[in-house]
Amino acid sequence: MNIVACVKQVPDTEAQIRVKPDGSGIDETGIKWVMNAYDEYGVEEALRLKEKHGGDVTIVSLGPARSLEAIRTALAMGADKGIHICDPALDGADAYVTASALAAAIKGIPFDVIFCGQRAVDDDAGQVGAMLAELLGIPQVTVVTKLEVNGASIRATKPVEGAQLLIESPLPCVITAQKGLNEPRYASLPGIMKAKKKPVDVKNAQALGVSAEAKLKVLKFVPPPARPPGKIISGDDAVAKASQLVGLLRQEAKVI
Amino acid sequence: MERVTFSVGNEGRQVFWNVHDFEWLLYAFSVVALAIFAYGLYRRWKMWTAIGKPEMRIDRIGERLKALFVNSLLQLKTFRELYPGVMHGLIFFGFLVLFIGSAVDAVEFHITEPFGFAFLRGRFYLVFSFLMDLFGLFIFIGIMLALYRRYLLKPDRLGYREERDNTPDDAFALILIALIVATGFVVEALRISVTHSPWEYWSFGGWVLAEVFAGADVRTAEMFHRILWWLHVFISLLFIAYIPYSRLLHILTTPANHFFLSLKPAGSLEPIRDFETAESFGAGRLEDFTWKQIFDADACTRCGRCQDGCPAYLSGKPLSPKKLIQDIKTHWLDRAAIAGKQSSGGGEASGAGEPAKTLTGEVVDLHELWACTNCMYCMEHCPSAIEHVPKVVNMRQYKVLTEADFAPELQLTYRNMENNSNPWGIGAHLRADWAKELGIKTLAEDPAVEYLFYVGCSGSFDDRGKKVSVAFARILQAAGIKFGILGTEEGCCGDSAMRGGNEYLYQSLAQANIEVMNRYGVKKIITTCPHGYNALKKDYPNFGGNFEVYHHTEIIAELIAKGKIALKKPVKGTFTYHDSCFLGRYNDIYEQPRTILKAVPGVKLAEMERTLSQSFCCGAGGARMWMEEDIGERINDMRTDQAIATGAGTIAVACPFCLTMLSDGIKDRKREESMAALDIAEIVWKAMDRDAAAT
Repeated sequence: MNIVACVKQVPDTEAQIRVKPDGSGIDETGIKWVMNAYDEYGVEEALRLKEKHGGDVTIVSLGPARSLEAIRTALAMGADKGIHICDPALDGADAYVTASALAAAIKGIPFDVIFCGQRAVDDDAGQVGAMLAELLGIPQVTVVTKLEVNGASIRATKPVEGAQLLIESPLPCVITAQKGLNEPRYASLPGIMKAKKKPVDVKNAQALGVSAEAKLKVLKFVPPPARPPGKIISGDDAVAKASQLVGLLRQEAKVI
Repeated sequence: MERVTFSVGNEGRQVFWNVHDFEWLLYAFSVVALAIFAYGLYRRWKMWTAIGKPEMRIDRIGERLKALFVNSLLQLKTFRELYPGVMHGLIFFGFLVLFIGSAVDAVEFHITEPFGFAFLRGRFYLVFSFLMDLFGLFIFIGIMLALYRRYLLKPDRLGYREERDNTPDDAFALILIALIVATGFVVEALRISVTHSPWEYWSFGGWVLAEVFAGADVRTAEMFHRILWWLHVFISLLFIAYIPYSRLLHILTTPANHFFLSLKPAGSLEPIRDFETAESFGAGRLEDFTWKQIFDADACTRCGRCQDGCPAYLSGKPLSPKKLIQDIKTHWLDRAAIAGKQSSGGGEASGAGEPAKTLTGEVVDLHELWACTNCMYCMEHCPSAIEHVPKVVNMRQYKVLTEADFAPELQLTYRNMENNSNPWGIGAHLRADWAKELGIKTLAEDPAVEYLFYVGCSGSFDDRGKKVSVAFARILQAAGIKFGILGTEEGCCGDSAMRGGNEYLYQSLAQANIEVMNRYGVKKIITTCPHGYNALKKDYPNFGGNFEVYHHTEIIAELIAKGKIALKKPVKGTFTYHDSCFLGRYNDIYEQPRTILKAVPGVKLAEMERTLSQSFCCGAGGARMWMEEDIGERINDMRTDQAIATGAGTIAVACPFCLTMLSDGIKDRKREESMAALDIAEIVWKAMDRDAAAT
């Protein structure tokens, strides 16, 4: 079985995000970059499929040179090889360009199932997986929490509005992974060491023949407004406090 | 041989009296017994050398001989406990004196007397006889104490929970020794009953017993004497021959283990050096242990002292340090027997039989492996100097590094340490926020300081720990000590990673810290956390981090002694001090925290029953801080109960892990109203009464 897992390198969710003074992006100093958590569920599921059905797992990532670390992390977990789409021309690619690049890279290799995270925790767009399936012309099941593969088809579970949707799809298809799909493994040390020697193909836009034009343009990054300090309601007794609270909710917060 | 005559003034006794004709036969039997002994030892030697990686344990001979002297000859560790100490001491010193006495006797009989010099005469003989009888009696009493204890008192430590671990060998060894002594006294009594030498009351045992045979005629007494003499000889020779085949072997293996003991700091672990090339890490199979780690198991006497203070065992977890070592021993006996056959049969090493069991999961249950808090009680009190904790960590290394198969909550902890250099996973950029209001400079701002205050993760991120950092920093400021912090350049010390088996992560964290510290030319470091203290002081030198490291209790004690800080405001109440394992047993800091508390006006100090080197772990060491505790009772609650029993209102601690665990214990026991856990620094800061001045 030929399995592909797409990963994105994102800032650690605990990292301090500072917007550059000119608003052109974020200041990357001091940021710890990690594999997007949802992509990790995808990689883990890919590895479990490989362990069950055989085959190999290819990791595909688009990003600057540092993204190689995310690919190596996936290789350390047990994936077999990587494709790193690395091209300054693709910096700041939107979801459409990203999906086009990934599709171009994946078209060149055999695939039965493709995993993506249901979204990346940096821009929270949640579009790449779906676009990738469309560009490849194959079915997709998004936000999957349970997956069974039987021969040439899959059965995937996705949560919808407090219920579960069970979807069947033929292979090949794109699965986007949601929390709950599995518990990603901790890479073993021999795995980490072996990952350093596993092949990673570095490709640029030209080699892949990506000519997609971005559909979106980022105008400006703006930090969220600082949270105003909380107010402690004072008063002699509960009645006084309550009337003050009502007053504030009505006049300041304007919620009642 | 000419008969020597003894008389008052020339007292003595005839060697081989009444059995002179059998002298050669005795030597013949002795040779057989010694041959059986030697063969047993040879076989054991083959087993000791069959499996295990090399390890240097014969360097620094002087220190090793000293350990041998103190632990084997003086029995100092054995004497730490009264009953078993006296029991074993009576048998040990009894045998020692009897052995020396027999040697003296033999030297006289075979060497000096043929040259016309007999020294076992007169007063020397009388004292000699007296001592031999006295120490013979000691052995007998010791054996009786041992039998009484093992079979009637039945202390928990001589078993595992409800199961006793008595074997037929235990009883046989004790009875054998008792019979040697008993027959010895009877033989002596029969001789005295015939010879009637008036000075023989010095041989008081035989003298008293001789009364029993007073009515017998000489011939009958002589006949019984011969029979009993042979019995005595046979049992004694059986004893010698039996040593290598029984628990008596500890007579040799335990002193050997004292000689081979680790000369490294307590709990020190050999760092893994070859991450790049090795295929396997830690100890997954017996072959992954060093010869000394395996030899340890053969020095274990199953005395169970380790078990008696093990927080995991006492709280109902499956781990018992004794069982762990015995399970390894049983496995080693199987494996070494197979290895021995293969090497003598010339077969290939990897060949015959079923595949060897894994240590992790088959020989040692994984719940046992992960229950250890690395508290060091077992190693501190083991009279055989067995090193349990490094074996536990080596096996954890196998599970974590080689197999990556371990508790999910610990995986999360490690990821947090990887990504944000702290076990909680709080953003690394927030590390120095606790110090914002205090005007403390980082070394980047001012590297010209006397001390680096290495704050550690608890002191930086944990709300309770941050208060300790603030209190201690204010004490230093009030005392006029010039110090700085690393700010966001500081990283996790790595202790939990290392003790949880993640040596790879630990080394990367350690190296990052060392790199920063060396860059600023740091020389002296203070920590408030004993885990960081131990790692920086004892383990960082392995990676080029050589610093003078102090715990804050050492520094505060010195500031008080030098009058740099004044404790004037009474902090009234009864306090009990909980010894942190990594401060006490690991680093021998027991006095300073107590000295500090005694210097605080109004403090009444009450000790818990388990205190000082016998202190009971809070449950957080050995990466247990970050793991679920779902078997048995909670260790921190048990420790809290022990503190409650002292009637103290405050549990004074000197470790942020202990602070968390005991604060939780106080909550679990619903004592928040009447009790609190406070760090020594917080208590001192209160007593300094400087809050108004500082804020």
